[in-house]
Amino acid sequence: MILDIKNIYKSFGSIEVLNDVNISIAKNECIGIIGPNGAGKSTLFKIISGGLRHDSGSIIYNNNNLNNFSNEKRARLGIAQSFQKNSLFPEMTIIESIMIAITHTSNLSFNFYSLMFNNKEIYNKAIEIVNQIGLKNYAEQKSETLSYGLQRQLELGIAIACNPKVLLLDEPTAGMSPLETQSIINLIKKLSLNYSIVIVEHDMEVIYNLANRIYVLDRGKIIFNGNVKDIKSSKLVQDRYLGQNNE
Amino acid sequence: MRAVNYNPKLRLQIFLVLIISAIVFTIFGGYFTRFFIAEIAILSIFAMSLDFLAARGGMVSLGHAMFLGIGAYSTAVLSIDFEINLILTTFLSLFIGLIIGVILAYFIVFLDGIFFIMVTLALGEMFNAWVFTSDLLGGSDGISGIMRPDLSNLGLDIYNPLIFSFYTLMWVLFIYLLLARITDSALGRNLDAIRQNINRVSSLGGYTKYYKIIAFSLSSGVAALAGSLYVQLNGFISPELTHWTVSGEGLIMIIVGGIGSLSGAILGASIVHIIQHELSNIINWWMLIIGVLFILIVLFMQDGLWGLIEKIKHKLFRINFK
Repeated sequence: MILDIKNIYKSFGSIEVLNDVNISIAKNECIGIIGPNGAGKSTLFKIISGGLRHDSGSIIYNNNNLNNFSNEKRARLGIAQSFQKNSLFPEMTIIESIMIAITHTSNLSFNFYSLMFNNKEIYNKAIEIVNQIGLKNYAEQKSETLSYGLQRQLELGIAIACNPKVLLLDEPTAGMSPLETQSIINLIKKLSLNYSIVIVEHDMEVIYNLANRIYVLDRGKIIFNGNVKDIKSSKLVQDRYLGQNNE
Repeated sequence: MRAVNYNPKLRLQIFLVLIISAIVFTIFGGYFTRFFIAEIAILSIFAMSLDFLAARGGMVSLGHAMFLGIGAYSTAVLSIDFEINLILTTFLSLFIGLIIGVILAYFIVFLDGIFFIMVTLALGEMFNAWVFTSDLLGGSDGISGIMRPDLSNLGLDIYNPLIFSFYTLMWVLFIYLLLARITDSALGRNLDAIRQNINRVSSLGGYTKYYKIIAFSLSSGVAALAGSLYVQLNGFISPELTHWTVSGEGLIMIIVGGIGSLSGAILGASIVHIIQHELSNIINWWMLIIGVLFILIVLFMQDGLWGLIEKIKHKLFRINFK
């Protein structure tokens, strides 16, 4: 397993948000996490990426216990994330935004000489990623001037530029048109050949298309996990989430 | 924080116009003009340090005059008490400013907005209060008798206003090239990214505090250099130089010139200093005029004179420079 989330508990005051959550992710596996609003999905993501500390339990990544690692250190080890709400650099072009992500994970950020004079190497890498995410034609456009769909693609591109081993994608298709959603699905499918992916999504078609295994989170607890077929046939999941989702 | 002008081509064009004008005025001007150009050059270095800190580091300091003071007093003490060569003293003053900048930055760069401003203001005022009472630094009388670097080996008399003016312009050129290089490099772009979205940079593995410390200390070192040149020009230093209003004037200069443009800081320093000087010769309520001008620029021209030049060029040549 590349990432093992073991017995995670988290509460805010008297409100229990995560209760004994266990999730395992193998190399190049795509895991889906579904659940109603307030189930604790985003909190779990924040805990994995280091943005939030859990009360107890452990996060094991490549045999390292990440409990005391900062989010910067986790990112440098290969855990990257894209956010539910776009978190971009509005005044920067696409290519510049990707270059920022590359700098921090390519051991250049502590090399003062490279930071001052060596833009070429970073630039070439950024061009590769821009092509990979299909934004070649907009490379020199500022992030704030892009359409929402293109911004979502850039959000994903920034995460990939970190050279991750595990990609955490928080609702990557939120607010997108069916056409844009399909293009993101195709992109993530390509990415899943090289990365382990954890994806939180409300759109079940996206999850069915991408996930090898699906965890259902409800009121902070994993109530079910299985493949697409298991999920579709589970009465518990139908009652607790999908029935409600289909309403 | 927004309102940051970034356009390397226009930056260079404005800088060239300003530096060539300064050279022409220095060559053809009289004693007073040359002294005045040297003053503007020193203020420009200080304004560039504030501009770099505000635009690239995203930090607005109301205590940066402290570093002017650190540079000025370091030069005074090292050259008078320790009799160290003035050229070496200039570099040492810059270095001392840089080191003190690193130490202070370590404790304060995580602060945001108003909290950062207030802490820098408090630090600046503490320094000001200390130099006022320090026997070592001459207390309220300050220190006088500071010499200029000896350039006789090069056949130059530094006490000739023409030579000293060129000496300060050379420093302006050096600092401009250094800060412009940093601004355009991966380091500068990362600082820009941190200003725009610090949490995202953290999530990408960027040690944002490390970058902000670099920005603050570089800016501190440059401000200390300006302080060192100031005492070389005047031969005298008093605690007034470290007062917070000096930092405030520096901020006015970069806002008038256009924050983030670097050469806009030089333009702002020149315009504000010229207006201050000319108006104070005519009326004694010149501060009111400066205040009104400042308010008008903040209300209607947030990109400062830089923004105005950009618009004029755009209209004249129909080229989008952004």
